[in-house]
Amino acid sequence: MALESYVPVVIFAVVALLFPLGTFFATRLFRPDHPTPLKDLTYECGEVPEGEAQIQFHFQYYMFALIFVIFDVAAIFLLLWAFAWGGLLTSASPVAKFSIFLFLGIMFVATQYALKKEEVIQI
Amino acid sequence: MSAPLVPDLFGLCKVLTAAIIWIVQQIIYALAGPIPPLAGLGDFLGTDFVITLVTWLIVVTVVVLWVTVINLFTIMWVERKLYSRLQDRYGIMISVWSLPFWPFNRTRRPTHRGTGYLQNLADGIKLIQKENITPRNADSAMFHISPVLIASSTLMAFAVLPWSSGFYVANLDLGILFILAAFSLAPLGILIAGWSANNKYTLVGGLRAAAMLLSYSIPAVLAVIALVFFTGSLNPIVIVGQQDRPIVLAGTTLPIPAWYVFGPQFLGFLVFTVAMIAEMERVPFDIPEAEAELVEGWTTEYSGMRFGIVFAFKWLRMLAASGLISILYLGGWSGPVFATVFVGSIPIPIFPEEFWFVLRVYGLSAFFVVLSWSVPRVRIDQILNIGWKRLIPYSLLAILIAAGFRVLG
Repeated sequence: MALESYVPVVIFAVVALLFPLGTFFATRLFRPDHPTPLKDLTYECGEVPEGEAQIQFHFQYYMFALIFVIFDVAAIFLLLWAFAWGGLLTSASPVAKFSIFLFLGIMFVATQYALKKEEVIQI
Repeated sequence: MSAPLVPDLFGLCKVLTAAIIWIVQQIIYALAGPIPPLAGLGDFLGTDFVITLVTWLIVVTVVVLWVTVINLFTIMWVERKLYSRLQDRYGIMISVWSLPFWPFNRTRRPTHRGTGYLQNLADGIKLIQKENITPRNADSAMFHISPVLIASSTLMAFAVLPWSSGFYVANLDLGILFILAAFSLAPLGILIAGWSANNKYTLVGGLRAAAMLLSYSIPAVLAVIALVFFTGSLNPIVIVGQQDRPIVLAGTTLPIPAWYVFGPQFLGFLVFTVAMIAEMERVPFDIPEAEAELVEGWTTEYSGMRFGIVFAFKWLRMLAASGLISILYLGGWSGPVFATVFVGSIPIPIFPEEFWFVLRVYGLSAFFVVLSWSVPRVRIDQILNIGWKRLIPYSLLAILIAAGFRVLG
């Protein structure tokens, strides 16, 4: 039953994939195609491009990326917990109900502490 | 109380499909006289499997055309007219009478005093005729794949987004989560586009898009989690159904609809709206293609229809985000007036649910347009700080408030 309701989504995915592909192939019928060496240069405000762009980019926000991964996993816990909240309220055990607030508090304080050193970012 | 104009899109399309297949079958049976094997093909076309498959294809095509042809052109026109008004000018005014061929080339008709609605169609026709240039140093395969990834993932949000209680493709229990997942695929495509073009502007734009994803997607999900405390469901139709009633406060019924924005979810609404503005890359948060700093950001190297698709589909993301906000917080398609007229024995609603939903979507979009043409752009470190030092604490606070209200009852 649950899987059956995803059949239209799969069909939609196929159509959504074919829509841009079909558009790009259809434009072949209408557009010119005359590449020249000057046209194919990388755009750099009219200058001859200097060097490569695929370099080892200084990845300045790696700390944000690390914390993002932690929060991404935690969001799944929180979602399940929010779904189960109505059932947890009727149960007697306070551990299952409120222990995640402790987890959230620890995570929040740790995040803000870790981000203290990321004061200046330039990209 | 409410009534959709399209009560059952699948059922409506099934009638159409059955009619088409019946006609095709008759033609095939007529041909089966001289060519007997065709009779088996005619029988195969009449089977349940074929009819269901063709019906789904028609449903999907109807929704894709409704979204891309009608709503995309309308929202682009609304934006161009609205920001022109903000800049104290009229904006596009070329009317259909300026076309140089027969039914339109009347003399004595004003050619430049129209509404300009077809200007975007003309721009699209122009872009189709433009050459597609691939830079010599670019990673060609990735350069060509990423517009497809961006466009199709943007369209995928509309597979689940309902336009009324009957006008949708799929009714999933995890619909809201699906839309958020579809949204979060596009920054991956932007990152690929930025890297593969081998251009410094696109590289910086793509990495900025990745940085922005890090800052806004967690607050958006946390705000939805705060909402789940109240709804207990992620099905958009269920969520809208819960908001279709007046607020009852201490035994008295107030003349205010019970939208989730009125009440303890207000903080979550603010966080979610800011996150959605960042998601659709509009001006306070359009740093991936800051045209004042990076020529056109990650779209710099795209030309022709590739540029047209990736540029126009940003408005689709705006439509989807506005629809998502109105479903979650603004009551979806519930409206104050529902009048019906009877044509024969079929009731036709005058103000159907689709009308109220489209009204909300365009109202929110107009708000975003006015906002984005009024405020300056934030810097990349500012958006990371807004995301991590403002939105995440506020969304955690929204979760606490929601949990507390549920405990107190």
